[in-house]
Amino acid sequence: MTDNNPHIGRRKYLTLAGGAAASAAIAGCAGGGGEETTTTTEDDGETTTTEGGDETTATPQESFDVTITQGQMPSGLDPHDHRETPTTIVMLHAYEGVLTRDAAGAMQEALATNYERIDGENAVRFDLREGVTFHNGDELTPEDVAYSINRVVDEEVGFASPQSDQLAGVTGAEAIEGEMAVKVNNDGLNPIVFSEFATYLDVMQQSWVEERSKAEVSQQMNGTGPFQLSSYTEDEEVVLTAYEDYWQDPAAVDTLTFRAASEASTRVNQLLQGETDVIVNVPPQEVSRVNNSENARVAAAPSTRIIYNAMRFDVEPFTSVEFRQAMNYAIDLESIVQNVLGGFGAQTSQPTLPEFVGHNADLDPYPYDPDQAEQLVEDSGFAGAEIELHTPVGRYLKDLEIAQAVAGYIDELPNVTATVRQRDFGSLVDELLAGSIEARPPWFLIGWGEATFDGGLVMKALLASDGTLTTWQNEEFDALLEEAGTQTGDARDATLQEANAMAHEQCPWIFLNQQFSVYGVNDAIAWEARSDERIDAYAMSLK
Amino acid sequence: MSLSRFLVKRSLQGLFVIWGVITVVFGLRFISPGDPANVLLPPDVDPEVRAEVIAELGLNEPLYVQYWDFISGIPLGDLGFSLVTRTPVAARVLAKLPATLELAIAATIVAIVIAIPLGVISATRRHQPADYGATVFSLVGISTPNFWLGVMLIIVLAVQFDLFPTSQRPIGVDGIVLLFVSGSLGEAVDGLTTWLWHITLPAITLGTYFTALITRLTRSGMLDQLGQTYVRASRAKGLPETLVRYKHALRNTLIPVITVIGLQLGTLIGGAVITEAVFAWPGLGTLIINSINARDWPVLQGSLIVVAVGFVLVNILVDALYAYVNPQVAYD
Repeated sequence: MTDNNPHIGRRKYLTLAGGAAASAAIAGCAGGGGEETTTTTEDDGETTTTEGGDETTATPQESFDVTITQGQMPSGLDPHDHRETPTTIVMLHAYEGVLTRDAAGAMQEALATNYERIDGENAVRFDLREGVTFHNGDELTPEDVAYSINRVVDEEVGFASPQSDQLAGVTGAEAIEGEMAVKVNNDGLNPIVFSEFATYLDVMQQSWVEERSKAEVSQQMNGTGPFQLSSYTEDEEVVLTAYEDYWQDPAAVDTLTFRAASEASTRVNQLLQGETDVIVNVPPQEVSRVNNSENARVAAAPSTRIIYNAMRFDVEPFTSVEFRQAMNYAIDLESIVQNVLGGFGAQTSQPTLPEFVGHNADLDPYPYDPDQAEQLVEDSGFAGAEIELHTPVGRYLKDLEIAQAVAGYIDELPNVTATVRQRDFGSLVDELLAGSIEARPPWFLIGWGEATFDGGLVMKALLASDGTLTTWQNEEFDALLEEAGTQTGDARDATLQEANAMAHEQCPWIFLNQQFSVYGVNDAIAWEARSDERIDAYAMSLK
Repeated sequence: MSLSRFLVKRSLQGLFVIWGVITVVFGLRFISPGDPANVLLPPDVDPEVRAEVIAELGLNEPLYVQYWDFISGIPLGDLGFSLVTRTPVAARVLAKLPATLELAIAATIVAIVIAIPLGVISATRRHQPADYGATVFSLVGISTPNFWLGVMLIIVLAVQFDLFPTSQRPIGVDGIVLLFVSGSLGEAVDGLTTWLWHITLPAITLGTYFTALITRLTRSGMLDQLGQTYVRASRAKGLPETLVRYKHALRNTLIPVITVIGLQLGTLIGGAVITEAVFAWPGLGTLIINSINARDWPVLQGSLIVVAVGFVLVNILVDALYAYVNPQVAYD
């Protein structure tokens, strides 16, 4: 261990752990008390506010440094000019939105203290927190929030932000005169507007952005988050330090460093050697090496990404519902999850994941029943079919191996021949996004992440007749999604559950697995993996 | 042909080569699978947003416009802007160049320090155990893929025995120089030690193939020289064997060896790609890999142009040096 390595060393850990224990004991005597906190949950489109008692305070403890190694460095530091998770992870430490999510994906307030729909208008209102400051010391204003929203959705205010569709349905925002609040206008009911703001929209300071060129905004940071930028070396390192005037308790992490190593084995070796504290995407074959080490462990959580095999409804033999169902009965999904993914995955039965709005808990994954599969193939009239599964390689956790297992199981059926075709991800995506179903491969493996935790958006994009990546057309299914678009709360949930049941029955996909995010973590750090693929250093503490 | 005419001629040839590289790399972009917009943006992005981003990046311009925009800026040092980070490519590539040069030069030094003595020992103790050992070493070195060697070195020397760090480059030569100039001596020495500590495994990994190559070249060259009549004459004159070997035979052996070392330096810059990925070394190789993955064509083009220019320059320099140190070689 060297001085220039800002991670936690064993000796430092032992020293700090003692300090932390003492601090925790003192904090326990002092107790909480004070300010009232509120927790707000969206229910049926209305706003429900519950009042809490004691203020939730983090246990005071000694500060410590953390290094996080991702697969790639952020593409820049402009929070509105990217669409990649590694960049989002860096951004969320310096910038905040009006709403946020907890580790389980539940919606929480951030810069807003209250949010509600405005009666009689296609608009919502956010009441903003007082006393929040940007890292340059200036106070947050409603104009800053409105500007940030407009910078994303209005090209004339900002630029062609790649995030504009993340605020789908939002047409603009304005500060409400004389109040610490903003009004956000929508082009309709926009049932998922709060869900969008809980996931996206980092708030920037209007004057700070306007005083700088686009290039400067991409190299500097000035948010309201728990960490402020200390240094940025493009492609090499982002160093953040705790912001002492943060509106919540200052972060326990003093210096937070982001680095990148594209090779998974390099990241694992760095972790085992104590050169970094958190690494992303530990491959299943490295899990035991991490868990058996003295200083690190694996932390995993179900992510918001679903892996599936799409089957084009307009190409034989996938025109047959019986054939598509047969494909689901033919594979031993439980075995794939256990043996290929090493248990780092969950079986799926429908397009919507369990944590999402619209998930139908009554649906179970298709059981492994090769006899039933063989019979269904016979019934479909496509016995003897030869099919080819297109799959990317290395894009998703064990994607090729999953594809090979799926094709292997199907090929074991006496009346179907299945093979795998490895594809460059770029060329596969070109075909998927060509704009028409006809351009897409008849049978392909792909993954889809939906950070808003909304099953409606997943089904709209992947299964609606006009969906971005659809391979299926079903008028009844489309009608259900249309109906959900005009509903909120439980009614919408019920409609989406019905749509999921239909998708389960009609099998436009071979339902595969919910991908897990698998991290390697320094044993000295207490941190739980999140379901939205985000790494939140503010939530880290020493064990 | 005079030296100046020779240099002008080689420079013009070099320019032609560089233009060829630029054009081929530019053309490859259009036959390679994967639209950059599809890699930059996730599949669920709205088609209108996709179209706006494509227009803003200039990806919807006709081919000849994009080619002219690109090639006309190069003489002015303008290599365009990164599609991903929107920052100038030239600055980004030049910022990565020192790390790769450090690695390539360190690998070369490793190769020279090990290979030349080994080659000489091997030649002077022909058919003895030392010769067999050196021959086996060079065979193994040439046959070992450097990505495998790198991973093995990390697992054994870094993870298992904790002798070296696994990866990263916490300080560069520029930082060390700065410390020597403006910092304390202790800090500077610390910086130098840290740099050496971090560069050792990548340099060995990158330099092993090169070491083996130079060992074989030195051995065969030395054997050839030792069989020459001037060596026999020197010995007959009663010159000490050390003088015969190291002053006469070795000096003549080194002429082709130096040429190969010079030419291989260019190869090492290009060959550092895999080594940099294994050791998370933030150089041109890492930049090239990342830009390929992200379909960031301007950065890829800029990196390849810089590598091509470096290779051509080193070639011209080596040709000129070779002609200079060995008057028997005519420039033409």
